[in-house]
Amino acid sequence: MDRRTFVYNAALGTLHLGLGGSLARAQEPSPSALGSLKIGVHAPEFTPSPLAMPGLFPGRVIDVSHPQPIRDRRIDQAAVRTMLTQGMAALTGDKKPADAWARFVSAADIVAIKVNPSSAPATVTSIALLREVIAALNGAGVPNRNLIVYDRNSNQLEVNGYHTQVPAGVRVVGLDQRWSVKGSSDVNRSGYDPEVYCEMDCFGERETRSYLASIVTREATKIINLPCLKEHNASGVTGCLKNLAYGSFNNVARTHVDPKTYTDPVIPVMCSVGPLRSKSVLHIMDGIRAVYHGGPFGWNPEFVWEAKTLLIGTDPVAIDRVELEIVEQKRREVGAPSLFDRNPANLGRSSDIERTAQKNPFYREPNHIRTASELGLGTWELAKIDRRKIVVS
Amino acid sequence: MASDTNWITLLASNDRRGGVAAPARKPPAELIWKATLGDAVRSSPVLRDGVLYVACRDGRLYAFDVSNGRERWRYQAQAALHSTPSLSGNLVLVGADDGTVSAVDRASGLRRWQVEGAGEVWSSPTVYEDDVYFGSTGGEVTAVDRASGQRRWRRQMDARISSTAYVTERRLFFGCGDGRLVALDRSTGKDVWVHRAADGIVASPAVDGGLVLVGSEDYFFYAVDMESGKVRWKIETGLGVTSSAAVSGGKVFFGGRDGYLYALAQSDGRELWKSRPLRAITAPPLAADGFVCVQSFYGTTQAFETDTGKELWRANLGGSVSSTPIVSTEAVYLATYPGVVYALR
Repeated sequence: MDRRTFVYNAALGTLHLGLGGSLARAQEPSPSALGSLKIGVHAPEFTPSPLAMPGLFPGRVIDVSHPQPIRDRRIDQAAVRTMLTQGMAALTGDKKPADAWARFVSAADIVAIKVNPSSAPATVTSIALLREVIAALNGAGVPNRNLIVYDRNSNQLEVNGYHTQVPAGVRVVGLDQRWSVKGSSDVNRSGYDPEVYCEMDCFGERETRSYLASIVTREATKIINLPCLKEHNASGVTGCLKNLAYGSFNNVARTHVDPKTYTDPVIPVMCSVGPLRSKSVLHIMDGIRAVYHGGPFGWNPEFVWEAKTLLIGTDPVAIDRVELEIVEQKRREVGAPSLFDRNPANLGRSSDIERTAQKNPFYREPNHIRTASELGLGTWELAKIDRRKIVVS
Repeated sequence: MASDTNWITLLASNDRRGGVAAPARKPPAELIWKATLGDAVRSSPVLRDGVLYVACRDGRLYAFDVSNGRERWRYQAQAALHSTPSLSGNLVLVGADDGTVSAVDRASGLRRWQVEGAGEVWSSPTVYEDDVYFGSTGGEVTAVDRASGQRRWRRQMDARISSTAYVTERRLFFGCGDGRLVALDRSTGKDVWVHRAADGIVASPAVDGGLVLVGSEDYFFYAVDMESGKVRWKIETGLGVTSSAAVSGGKVFFGGRDGYLYALAQSDGRELWKSRPLRAITAPPLAADGFVCVQSFYGTTQAFETDTGKELWRANLGGSVSSTPIVSTEAVYLATYPGVVYALR
């Protein structure tokens, strides 16, 4: 079992590994009011495979768009199929979809698919994309019985219809679901692995551990990540990194108490935990509908727009960086403050975010993306990101 | 306190007309009792002879005395329970996530029989005469003998089935996750007709006046001729429909994921009214004379006049994905997703 300790000094904007190693970033000191945060990581030792984040194609982001992926308010299944097929071909160079997917999975794999259902009924990982990913995995030889769709919140999975709309045989699992057999103390029936966790005290909370999903540690051999292109009121954006970290570990809402947030560095540290890092081999961000404010729920339709894109890659940092650029661009267009805004006058209550794009309850700079880069999870610098825009129809 | 209300399956009875309750024109003002269970409750409670039966995701089927909330017994299944139980004679029938359907003795809580199927059973077992019918996420529809659990027939539909079957003397109607609305011959399980919607049918159909009434994930609500399978009328909503319909007094009521509760004329699908939107309604409403009530996902239970859509009351009691309240002459019984069961008056 590997035990590592990360110590984050927000005042200096530095993240240290243990007592000796340093991941300090060269930057101006952050004006954050947060103090230092020590994160203990308790996880199995692992040797990253070539597929582990940042994966086979570090720095590469396929930005595939379609002129009309939404028809009559419905996401068009055929359009999504074309986007995914051509996007995967652009990522891998393989013309045949089965060849492209075979770079990441084989018939023997147990593949966990991480969706983002956190916005019912607004902007979530679309059923259309999920179905196409399942079909592509089938095409690569992975049978439905080897597929698990998962998220932290089973009620959100249910209300969005994931349980009922995927093909027969695919398991859909909410990690919060638990059940017990009389007289049994088998803790493994819960959704989380008691042996793998991050431990930190953010704001004096009673439970200081966040456990990793047992699907990730024990069942899945590969993870396909399907996040959404969304602003997030506590972390700036919810993209590949946050979808993986906060949807696979429990007890994560405690990392942000307005106006303060420890999403940086908790998100990247969680993503660097062995099983999650090594098994997450492909990220496909659903940006057909996107949210520039009020996320992750995006209940005000004024803050939702049709970005008509999928961002595909193996490097979650690079994809999230491109996502950040897209959201910031949209916010500039509508006159909303930057996600890096630290003007106290723009702090508001939680209810304000549904009313106006000028207010937010948190200082939510999405620095977790850069920290993830420092932890070796991918590419932060835009100049080093190979963003390939393709338009399909 | 004795109850004179029996509420034996999804939407009260197998005709799924939505209930026989006395209208509750005032909001419940008093908590009689509540029980906090071991996990979420996704399904609807059922009631007979003063005992409330609740299937919980912790794998337990609970029996509560409605007069005081005392637990009479609990039955431990071998997997999570998402299925709304059905009551028939001295049996409680309930499906489980390990693909089984169990018949539990109503008095003792002991299992009488169990039948195994494919996938998870989220649909509610439907009883018709001596037979029990249920579908599973493994794509099977199964008919078993009510007394013994012996299998009569099964069909593989190659799509998830979460929809609870509506059963008539000759037919079995249900939806599939791939968009099919299917009528099977009740005695053989063979196809009579298939209507294809553009997306999945998760809701459970109601049948009334020769029409099969059901919504789809393709945003439409359909009225299909029960003999021919042809669409008589359809109306478009703002998002997918997973809420099963209740039929009462010539009106059809259902919720939409777009947050509206819809009231349609059964004859031609005219929209009579729709509520002010909540964020998502996926649970079925219940309807009685002059009264319709629904639980929303985000925690609001609302009651409306059926003729006008005027809101009679609302209460914040915890959200529901698929659970429907029971409104008896004495009390309102609610099971919520957070796993709390309420008895209110």
